[in-house]
Amino acid sequence: MATVAPAWRSRFLLVGLVLVHLTAISHQVDGGTGVSLLQRGVLGVLSPLQRGVGAAAFGASEAWRGWAFHRETYAENRRLRERLRTLETELQLRSYRAQESVRLRELLALQQAVPLDTLAAQVVGRDGVPWFRTLMLDKGERDGVRLDAAVISATGVVGRVIAVGPGAARVQVLLDRDSGAAAVVERSRVGGVVSGQVSGVEAGGEDLVLKYVPERADVVVGDVVVTSGLDRIFPKGLVIGRVRFVGEVTGLFRDIRVEPSARFERLEEVLVLREAPPPLDTPRSVE
Amino acid sequence: MNRAVWTAIALGGALLVETALAHLVASPGRYLDPFLLVVVYCALVGSETHGMLAGAAAGWVQDVMFGGRVLGLSALAKLLVGYSVGLAARRFLIATTAARALVVLLAAAADALLVQWLASAFSVELLALPPLALATRATLSALVGSVLFALVDRRLARSRP
Repeated sequence: MATVAPAWRSRFLLVGLVLVHLTAISHQVDGGTGVSLLQRGVLGVLSPLQRGVGAAAFGASEAWRGWAFHRETYAENRRLRERLRTLETELQLRSYRAQESVRLRELLALQQAVPLDTLAAQVVGRDGVPWFRTLMLDKGERDGVRLDAAVISATGVVGRVIAVGPGAARVQVLLDRDSGAAAVVERSRVGGVVSGQVSGVEAGGEDLVLKYVPERADVVVGDVVVTSGLDRIFPKGLVIGRVRFVGEVTGLFRDIRVEPSARFERLEEVLVLREAPPPLDTPRSVE
Repeated sequence: MNRAVWTAIALGGALLVETALAHLVASPGRYLDPFLLVVVYCALVGSETHGMLAGAAAGWVQDVMFGGRVLGLSALAKLLVGYSVGLAARRFLIATTAARALVVLLAAAADALLVQWLASAFSVELLALPPLALATRATLSALVGSVLFALVDRRLARSRP
């Protein structure tokens, strides 16, 4: 029997693999919305590794700081700091109490705005490729995180969960081109959809776009944009951002840019909604 | 250890580098693609089959850990890049540091363009990578790659009897 030459074998393999990938991508594009077993499996295996590296990176940076200071200087510095702490105890206590009070007020306000079951999660990875804006969280299915769960922070809406593994979840940030959240201008109640822009950070793509706002809608710079709850993902009334720019009419709609209130680059901890927001009150039919 | 194990270890290392970088800079994927370096090295020292398989594996890890809702774009792009680099390495002599840096530069550009083209073909919404950002990413990857490849080569040469 004739044997296949190695060059031809690799070509056959190439064609086969390309076909497999094209099929896999097409299958997802055609409407697969769940999380594949492969994705769950790989997330399950790799996320602990990622968490470990995060901890190792933190430990390494701490060790480096320790080495950077001379030992005696470091010890003296510690003594002086302790003395300073003793002398300023009262002042610090007051300062801590004031800060604590601010944090608690923020948390309370967030809890009142979101009367749903939430879960705190740590951000362990982000933006590994330039095409998507995603975060990796250290909580997954085991902790009650579900697909499409809303992710928020004290400063504003962050995004939604697009993949869940047993102990990790991937979040699509609002800045992602493919993201979307039903929104409303708080002052004038003008509705629209907020999503990311095509351009990256270099081209000023850190703003969100408020789409589908009609030509004569009452929107001005400085208006606060909040979630409307119509998408059944984000609860109603969460702050998304503030209108930064209101441009000319393009087609039927106005070009509106929103500065997000969440500081995506600095996010360390977020809240994940463990339950879907309740359906909005629908008006009864008019007799 | 065989080649597949080393490739898996290298890909694990790339994931660790990417994760560690995220703690130091915002959006590390905009500046460096450690997975691409693994793919290019595998293709240069192995064959087009090795490059292609390493590319598919690297791309899938990237897709699952950092990708959007549609998976497989990076995998397919890196598969093609790995195959092309392997083919080029078989036909041309790519041994000097400069030649390898050029290969990484071209591979990084090709990878980015392929991902964007595939996304457009499958109607997947992507953040655009402006030419300057693309050039920065490719150049940094080429610089890091050439240093890394030289170090690995030296290490391998020492370990050989």
